[in-house]
Amino acid sequence: MIEKRLVLTSPIRLINILWIMLIILTLFSAYMAERGTTEFYSIAIMAVVLAIKGRIIVDHFMELKNAHIVLRTLMRVYFYIIPMMIIIVYLFAEQIAKWTSL
Amino acid sequence: MNSLTSSTIVSSKSFSKEIDFTPKKSNIPGSIAIWFAILAEMSEFAIMFIVYFLAKVHNPELFYEGPTRLNTLAGTTNTLIMLTSSFFVVRAIMAIRDNKRKQSANWLWGAVGCGIIYLIIKAFEYQWNASQGLTTETNIFYGVYYYVTFNHFLHVGWGSAGLIWVIYRINTGIYTSTEHEGLINMAVYWHMIDLAWITIFPLLYVIR
Repeated sequence: MIEKRLVLTSPIRLINILWIMLIILTLFSAYMAERGTTEFYSIAIMAVVLAIKGRIIVDHFMELKNAHIVLRTLMRVYFYIIPMMIIIVYLFAEQIAKWTSL
Repeated sequence: MNSLTSSTIVSSKSFSKEIDFTPKKSNIPGSIAIWFAILAEMSEFAIMFIVYFLAKVHNPELFYEGPTRLNTLAGTTNTLIMLTSSFFVVRAIMAIRDNKRKQSANWLWGAVGCGIIYLIIKAFEYQWNASQGLTTETNIFYGVYYYVTFNHFLHVGWGSAGLIWVIYRINTGIYTSTEHEGLINMAVYWHMIDLAWITIFPLLYVIR
């Protein structure tokens, strides 16, 4: 919905808004870092913030939103996998350590 | 005989109508070669992130304590700078498409400035770490931190040099509003450097 509204604006305005969004998300991350919380919800929020930032840069800054499907998918998947890894490592750290011990 | 020839001509005409042999407009920003380079670099960073995750699950205490001793302000400032530099690069592309070459070069100078400020802050951060006794030998967290961030530091260095090269090409009139593939290549490469940093920042500075 938000994206649809943004599309209606001029390209320059859209890029300006997205840049401000990226700045706000980064400041939010810094606030979370200072709080130093280790609860699941804060880790999940950080993962989602990373996914959103990655998607904005891939789709709009790199202009891959309407690009070749293979390239677009490869770049987008990167920012699904890394945030998911953050959550998986938080939830199953001990099991992963056990599986990867020599 | 005549009828055969005319039917051949007709079928050949209809064939050429069905298939359009004119080259299609590529829907890949820049050249395919730069995307091979970008995907290779992203894979390199992905390997580093896998090492980070594995080291973290085997050393949870060190990875809990590690970020608390890093300079969050320097990390945050550098993230804001990288995002701003990417924004400047996007604006440079918009300007060249609008045939505003001088404006495009100015936006790129802004991105180069951001790259230089990033490098200065990072150098300061390394010095600050050293004064706190944090080196590659301190523990595995700082080993991973130095390996990943120094690798990224080098990317920002040669990326900034690449930006200066495309500014030179804009100023010499090589890039026009319709022909500027080299500039697009540099732009997407710079965004890749930005993407790597926005991943490094939460992993090393935020998440414990």
